[in-house]
Amino acid sequence: MSDDGSPADAPTTGSLGRSVRRKEDQRLVTGHGHYVTDVELPRMRHVAFLRSPYGHARITGVDAAAAREAGYRVFTGEDFAHVALRAQSALPSYVETDQPVLAYEKACFAGEPVAAVVAADRYRAEDGLELVEVDYEALPATVCAWDEPTEPVHPEAPDNVLLQRTFDAGSVSDAFAAADLVVERELVTNRHAGNPMECRAGVALWDAAAGKLTFWNGTQVPHIVRNMVAELMGLPEGNVRVIAPDVGGGFGVKAVLYPEDVALCLMAREMPGIPLKWVEDRAEHLLAATHARDHRYLMKAGFSAEGRLLAVEADVTCNVGAYSVYPWTAGIEPLMAGGLLSGPYKLENYRCTVRGVATNTAPSGPYRGVARPASVFAMEAMFDHAATRLGIDPIEIRRRNVITPEDIPYKMPSRLVDDSGHYAECLDKALDALGYDVLRAEQERRRGTDEPPIGIGVALYNELTGLGRAASAGPRMPFRTGHDACTVRMNPDGRVTVISGVTSQGQGLETTMAQIVADAIGVPYEDVDVRIGDTDEALWGFGAFSSRQAVIGGGAAHNTALAVKDKVLDLAAGLIEAAVDDLRIENGEVYVVGEPKPQISVAEVARVAYLESNRLPEGIEPGLDATRFFDPIRGAFAAGAQVAAIEVDRVTGELRILKYVCVEDAGRAMHPQIVDGQIAGSIAQGLGGAMYEHLVYDEAGNLSTGTLLDYLMPTSAEIPDMVIGHVSHPAANPLGVRGVGEGGTLGPNAVLAGALHDALGIDIDTLPISPASVWKELQ
Amino acid sequence: MIETDVTFSVNGERVRLAVEPRRTLADALREDCGLTGTHLGCEHGVCGACTVIVDGEPARACLMFAVQADGSSVTTVEGLQGTDGELHPLQEAFVAHHGLQCGFCTPGMLMSALHLLDTTPDADRETIREEMSGNICRCTGYQGIVDAIEAAGRELTGHAEEAEPAE
Repeated sequence: MSDDGSPADAPTTGSLGRSVRRKEDQRLVTGHGHYVTDVELPRMRHVAFLRSPYGHARITGVDAAAAREAGYRVFTGEDFAHVALRAQSALPSYVETDQPVLAYEKACFAGEPVAAVVAADRYRAEDGLELVEVDYEALPATVCAWDEPTEPVHPEAPDNVLLQRTFDAGSVSDAFAAADLVVERELVTNRHAGNPMECRAGVALWDAAAGKLTFWNGTQVPHIVRNMVAELMGLPEGNVRVIAPDVGGGFGVKAVLYPEDVALCLMAREMPGIPLKWVEDRAEHLLAATHARDHRYLMKAGFSAEGRLLAVEADVTCNVGAYSVYPWTAGIEPLMAGGLLSGPYKLENYRCTVRGVATNTAPSGPYRGVARPASVFAMEAMFDHAATRLGIDPIEIRRRNVITPEDIPYKMPSRLVDDSGHYAECLDKALDALGYDVLRAEQERRRGTDEPPIGIGVALYNELTGLGRAASAGPRMPFRTGHDACTVRMNPDGRVTVISGVTSQGQGLETTMAQIVADAIGVPYEDVDVRIGDTDEALWGFGAFSSRQAVIGGGAAHNTALAVKDKVLDLAAGLIEAAVDDLRIENGEVYVVGEPKPQISVAEVARVAYLESNRLPEGIEPGLDATRFFDPIRGAFAAGAQVAAIEVDRVTGELRILKYVCVEDAGRAMHPQIVDGQIAGSIAQGLGGAMYEHLVYDEAGNLSTGTLLDYLMPTSAEIPDMVIGHVSHPAANPLGVRGVGEGGTLGPNAVLAGALHDALGIDIDTLPISPASVWKELQ
Repeated sequence: MIETDVTFSVNGERVRLAVEPRRTLADALREDCGLTGTHLGCEHGVCGACTVIVDGEPARACLMFAVQADGSSVTTVEGLQGTDGELHPLQEAFVAHHGLQCGFCTPGMLMSALHLLDTTPDADRETIREEMSGNICRCTGYQGIVDAIEAAGRELTGHAEEAEPAE
């Protein structure tokens, strides 16, 4: 570890930094996890949605009479026409549009919900769907974001452009004029999706007498859901309870409030006392949950003869699908692409126009890595291409341009401030682990033989994590996502309950929060229980996105625990008549400085705090609890490098990964296993996107990859063993941590495309990389 | 719709149900037997989350009708733990090697791995990767899962002392 930015009060002993047994695992490995789909309540009924079979069509009639006669409760678009989701942003060019709860005037993508049927079970609900007749008048569909639309998706945006912005720094024209080499490429990335193993799900229950709604929802953002559901239904926010129990993966897909969610809540209000359950199936999920990464980059980069990057001019079009998702808007991908395109490289002259374009496809939303798997691919392609043209080693050209620790804080041309700079260190470590020199020698040896050629690819990137209010996530939305709250209660038995605003979809936040609180107070990890995902319990948390929770929720837990520790010490000092400054807590016992034996247990102090007010010292109130917010104000950049060696079968075009290495700066790793698990999992998703996963629409807007037989998710047979390494530079926040959830997805596109360029001299312009596409390039 | 009586055993207990012919084994286990450990990830037989053991063979409970299980013996993830509550070596290995994150694919992973180690207790990493490719995990990148199954295999064949952290 280095000494820059090391937090003063970071604990040096205890559970942090060790891979303690996860709190979640006992229930999850025994089949006793509790997901929304496992919620079972008296009088429960099941919901199925009727979805548009057209990519774009006017709805001219909905006839539910037959279904109603057969005893089904049916809701149609007209029932909820007074409610719409509207994602807001203060960005000047942004065109606000409404997303209906159930489509009623027209359907804008295939799979958009049009009606809902309620029945005793899901089988019957789907029977009921067959009795609902919808008349459609087909409209011309636009599927590709860089095609001229014949019929706009939204009348408010005749050209389908929902948002456009130009980033401008320095003078690109002067820089290009001075450049020795100008590289131009058109790069297209493939639409794919987060596709968590648990699809979306909700159970809504309206208590009419109390005027209260309870909504179990497999969401990453329960407080954001509560806030908007309350507003849309005209309910006091305190009367809406959102519960996210165990959630089976999210990856951004579940950080969105969907029309189906709102429909379920509105339907529940029409059916008081009857819990309504909707569990999405995979076909629905592929059709109607958010997609991502359908982008085109028109790139132009200028270099000096020495390989110095002089200018980048880019035009980025992101297909945002039929609607601007709540709350992130159509800006989420284009703005991220433009803001971070230059990545970890020094650049003064930058002009980049980004736009979000509506089409008749499923809405795009946040997906792990948001835009950067594509933008890193675009940027690294410039370096790979320039390195070949200038005759510079591809590693060396990156070294000549990368931001170094001496440049920190580095103001990027998009005005984001990079506080990391440890890219070269990550790269060195990654190349070491790869065995770079040996592989280069082997590559050379194979040249001119019949053996499959070897290629080495590299990607450097920065992950913008733990964003505070100064760099809040989201495109100038009506709220700032920089803070989270935490409540810590020490109970009368001395054990601790943490009620945190963080949410978990597999990241092990129960474990991490318990580690943080245990160490901050000085009690054993086993004595801390964590409750998350319930808006009636936790005061506030924005939820899981932007790799924010370790930094922000963790910071809140740490600070709150310290406040409780102070209370314990104050009370203990009174009870044992010692000076509070002489006390310390270790393993649940209070010690006085210089005394080898503990003087009183935390459990006894806690007992006095609640049950023996007769022993309370003067001026000390009963109880041992605290609630605190934390906002890091700025974000913490996490540096990363990925390198891989591949070999390619010239006959089939198939590539085989020989070795894959990732080195990241996660700051201080609170739970090394969880940190490595996040990195390995995100690399696997990145490899899936680079090689297998592709959501394909035909020209009429029909999804032709509607099952997992067509939409290929990588399995254990495709994903290689990976080598994961760390450089651990503590960030400037209470725990010294950097977010680690997304970085892994950023590298694979660039690494594999670069490796193919290195092996065969071919340029990969279109993703995904398939044996067929490589073979075609080779012909 | 007409219901049919079916009788089968689940984790050693005899179960008698009246089910519609179209009811899947997965729904019968989850909703009629209350065994919600068996998860549904795709309902078209690809993801493997609903894998259970039927008469000694792994089966997709989403692709099997409950009536087809009549007379058979079914084991679900709830049947893995010992009667004393002790975790099965596979469950323990998944915990120790971080073979799960969100836990949604885990029951199916465990049941497929159980069958793999029953039939090939000394499976090497390549075999494990190939044989487990019918179960999709979206969280882990599979590294922890392969580590866990390899370690459990060693445990079950009595070679635990050779266990080394996997590269």
